[in-house]
Amino acid sequence: MKIKSKHPIFSDYEKDPKLFDEIFDEEGKVKKIYKKLFEIYGNHSIEDFEALNKKAKASFFNQGITFQVYDEHQQKEKIFPFDLFPRIIHPDEWEIIEKGALQRSRALNLFLYDIYHDKKILKDGIVPMDLLASSKNYLHQMMNIDPPGGIYNHISGTDLIKHSDGKYYVLEDNIRCPSGVSYVICNRTALKRALFGVFDHYSTHTVTNYAENLLEIIESVKPQGVDQPNCVVLTPGMFNSAYYEHSYLAKAMGVQLVEGRDLYVDNNFVYMKTIRGPEKVDVIYRRVDDLFLDPFVFHPDSALGVPGLFSAYQHGNVNIVNAPGTGVADDKAVYTYMPEIIDYYLGEEPILNNVKTYRCGNPDELKYVLEHIPELVIKPVDEAGGYGISIGNRLSKKEIEAVKEQIKADPRKYIAQPILSLSVHATYIEDSGSFEQRHIDLRTFSLLGKDKEFVLKGGLTRVALQKGNLVVNSSQGGGSKDTWVLKKSK
Amino acid sequence: MAFEYQIKYQAENTYEMSVSEAQWKFLIMPENKERQQLLSSEFYTSEPCHHYRGAGLFGFSSIMVSCDVPVKEITFTADYRVLREEENPFDFTEQPPADQFSALDSMAFKVEHMLFLYPTALTTLPAFSESEFEPDRKKSIFENLQDLNHWVRSKLHFKPNVTRVDSTLNDVLSGDGGVCQDFTHLFCAMARHHGIPARYVSGYLHQGQGFSGDMHMHAWVEAFIPGNGWKGFDPTNDLLCDHHHIKVCHGRDYQDCAPIRGVIFTSGRNETEYSVQVQAQQ
Repeated sequence: MKIKSKHPIFSDYEKDPKLFDEIFDEEGKVKKIYKKLFEIYGNHSIEDFEALNKKAKASFFNQGITFQVYDEHQQKEKIFPFDLFPRIIHPDEWEIIEKGALQRSRALNLFLYDIYHDKKILKDGIVPMDLLASSKNYLHQMMNIDPPGGIYNHISGTDLIKHSDGKYYVLEDNIRCPSGVSYVICNRTALKRALFGVFDHYSTHTVTNYAENLLEIIESVKPQGVDQPNCVVLTPGMFNSAYYEHSYLAKAMGVQLVEGRDLYVDNNFVYMKTIRGPEKVDVIYRRVDDLFLDPFVFHPDSALGVPGLFSAYQHGNVNIVNAPGTGVADDKAVYTYMPEIIDYYLGEEPILNNVKTYRCGNPDELKYVLEHIPELVIKPVDEAGGYGISIGNRLSKKEIEAVKEQIKADPRKYIAQPILSLSVHATYIEDSGSFEQRHIDLRTFSLLGKDKEFVLKGGLTRVALQKGNLVVNSSQGGGSKDTWVLKKSK
Repeated sequence: MAFEYQIKYQAENTYEMSVSEAQWKFLIMPENKERQQLLSSEFYTSEPCHHYRGAGLFGFSSIMVSCDVPVKEITFTADYRVLREEENPFDFTEQPPADQFSALDSMAFKVEHMLFLYPTALTTLPAFSESEFEPDRKKSIFENLQDLNHWVRSKLHFKPNVTRVDSTLNDVLSGDGGVCQDFTHLFCAMARHHGIPARYVSGYLHQGQGFSGDMHMHAWVEAFIPGNGWKGFDPTNDLLCDHHHIKVCHGRDYQDCAPIRGVIFTSGRNETEYSVQVQAQQ
């Protein structure tokens, strides 16, 4: 039975003609791929929607699907705001994203192998030596180590945006411990619970196969001589912002979730303390940062890691996923060389575009940046999570001067990009009780193993919940949407 | 001719509160290489412990120890016998200086030695010292490095207990002296500043000749001479290294070569006292 709504769902939707709307075309008509969804949602009133939204929120909270936000004074536990209106990606568009993300992962893996061995790309002058040598993420401890299976970045999170020209651009590659995949899966579950019927009308790829593929990938890079590898997820503990995700992944893969103190090393093998005695560990999917892995090699006063772990790794008796030292390649200054890196190792053209980026370490580009701050986004090269970003057109004159001083004090630390117009998507806003345009991006998850690759057909669409805001990171108060990748029609 | 050395390393740790689940890592075993043969090696502890050979950086070996019982006091002892071939530091032929300097300038060379060409936190030269030593391009690299050795010795006096293992060169040069780590860091920093690869070496010095650093583990420099390879310099004593120097390991700075690292869970204070004896067998 159809409910004739008093208050149709998109009745107050305001379309800013300057923005690229993913749902409506330039003439204000609903795009083909969203037509059916629009019809179905149109059968509901905004009041129904509000009720559903409340239910979904409560279910996230009850399941403990939360994360922590750090600021100077306190830590807060929050739910990751979830929007019930999904984003849909056409199969043809997805094919490009998937190929492009894998291409980047492969190229980055070869780059990492090279810079921790012969350093050919530096000798050939393609990437400047200074860039690596001055990076605090370049770990000399990794020199000449051969990770089992030859893989460094088993898990890569590629952040993409859709620009007003309708093309996707890569904002950054995250290859330390990219997080967010558990939200992709929770979002799907929540949407199915709230609006099961919509899935009857679309043929959408599943996202719940992520954990099984992750397990296959990490098992594929087991140490030599191991038959049935024993894998664990290593977490810094329950106070970490992504603890929910660590526990979810361990549970979904059917492996143990451990902290550093649950492991020890003897004779260069890693063991887990269990009530049945020691159990050898072969592959560690760690969500602990490099410098906390082993107090004998890195931070001496860290209690998060395992003393002797690095020695076991050097002996090839355990694998660490992702490999230590991958952070050097997701440095935003290295990002600017991605087209060259892809060409150098793969002999291919980049499938996905890079955003035009100015390196402040280069005097000419620095000059340009200092003169054009209001048109640029300034980012520190080695911070994750949207911390330290300045958006030029939001700054007062005084703030611009302060940013200039900041850059001049340590130019190598900053890059700048033109302010891109991220695409917008209809998002339910609680305060106004209506749908409004909000900026979105997309994080994809690609996996590399020994003779195995996988890209999750879906991803985390992050929403900047404040009107006009361009920073979508969850730590900066962003929300998310379920992301549907449609199957190719036969 | 060769010399046989007997080396005894001893570390005595005392803890205010008894510690359990204590673990230590030692980087104290003499390297076994062409001109320095490790004849025997023994390691024992005063309390029940077990230990195994672990990896250090750059292929060196470490000793990993964990204690099986709670301890308040523990002594670690290592005995090594080393056969060291006689070495004359002047016994090699250098390329003409122009060739050496142009080798230093080549990209491939710089990349190859990149880890030992860039400053670390402990080998960052303070701005006020940058211009205090300039290599003379008419002299060979070896001669320049000897001048650098003299320069370091002229900048610093040997003075124990005024610097710490994490003192930066800024701290060291603002004070009035230091120990072998500081001399070594200063040499490395200046050599690297001028594009000559230099690495921190940790090891033992044969005692009995009145050198500084013979009761403790010693530190010196290996610098790279294009066409010849790594050459040892002992800036603390303003000497060239020879068969009196018994190498344990090298790294970018002290952090890579710290002889002992411990991970203990305790609320009390702790102290480490250690001693080294190096005796030549006749």
